[in-house]
Amino acid sequence: MSAPSANSQTAQVHSSLWLWILFSACAFATVALFFIPAFIIRPFRYQGPRALLLAMGLHQRAPLGTLITGLACFFLAFSLWKTVGRWRKALIVFTLLIVTASAVMARQNYFEWMFHPIAGPHFLVQSETKLDSKEMIMAVRLGSDARAYPISQMAYHHILNDVVAGVPIAVTY
Amino acid sequence: MWTRTVNGRALHFYLAGINNQNFLMRDEETGTWWQQITGKAIYGPLQGAALELVLSDELTFAEWRVESPTGQVLAPVGKYTKEYDPNWEPGVAKLPVVISFPNTELKSRDVVIGLTIAGAARAYPWETFAKQSPILDRVNGTPLLLVLGPDGKSFRVFVSRIDGRDAEFFLQTNSSADAKGENKTWTLLDTTTVSQWNFQGCATSGAAEGKCLDRIPALKDYWFDWRNYHPDTTVYKH
Repeated sequence: MSAPSANSQTAQVHSSLWLWILFSACAFATVALFFIPAFIIRPFRYQGPRALLLAMGLHQRAPLGTLITGLACFFLAFSLWKTVGRWRKALIVFTLLIVTASAVMARQNYFEWMFHPIAGPHFLVQSETKLDSKEMIMAVRLGSDARAYPISQMAYHHILNDVVAGVPIAVTY
Repeated sequence: MWTRTVNGRALHFYLAGINNQNFLMRDEETGTWWQQITGKAIYGPLQGAALELVLSDELTFAEWRVESPTGQVLAPVGKYTKEYDPNWEPGVAKLPVVISFPNTELKSRDVVIGLTIAGAARAYPWETFAKQSPILDRVNGTPLLLVLGPDGKSFRVFVSRIDGRDAEFFLQTNSSADAKGENKTWTLLDTTTVSQWNFQGCATSGAAEGKCLDRIPALKDYWFDWRNYHPDTTVYKH
């Protein structure tokens, strides 16, 4: 009677091992989908052409990718939960927290946390502006419409989607 | 500055990252990644597409105000005004660079005016330009005129041709400048028609009166950035 029970225990250990491997792989993939692009595309660091392509490719796929791998993590954690003791439960919870944080961060544009975009641009006539006469501006003239974008403002926001004389333009600095 | 219509559709760009200190933007419509300095789509559904350049100027507010009295100015966004630094240049100039070109003519943070004529790029060191203005040069067969504005900060580049004929210009400084060298005015004179030209590149008197020179888009940039995206650039020397 002991032989079949030992076999089933071995089978349980094997399936549990596979669940752990899958759980770890999914957790690793979720973190990697966020972290690798974030690490490569960070300021004051050299971006090699191939590394940059990898970063953009992963970042592009991260929202769907982290959804799939993140859900898989939760599903696998659920399957593992009853088979493990307190310490492993803690490890599972900790991993799920990291996985959730990575999946959330993969959907965030933290560059816009540093440099906020201009939601709805307002424009002033010359008499309303307090600009110093020596301040540098970027200027565009399309048809009879002229617009000035102070560089001090554009150096912070970096991008403005504007329409001048009916032409959609991107002001970038 | 770029037009943001691609294949008949207006795109909306947002800041998405940084590539060797030149920013990357993505469009909300397709998620394509674009390089700011080149306007080229480098990754994503529109990869290979290029935005069309919009002719723009870097001027002092004083210069622009006179040229465009009815123009509009982008209003500061109230909650971010403390982030705006009118004196941003010295700070940026001290930032480290991540790419450098040690065996080239200039230092990484040297400011240049960069321009491209039919694929041929040339950089004009700002220091040289500010001393020599106006500069007459020729790139890829096109005669150029680079002019520093009367305010000593604004600049423009023109095709140095009047009615299809190459022209030469020189500067005539008026002596009304005050002790600090401010309120200086000047006019450009061309040697062919002996007309007077203003900083907008238009003849205000003489045989060419009413005519305007064609403009050339030019970018004020740091050497490392210009050189990185224009590896075959030449550097103006004189």
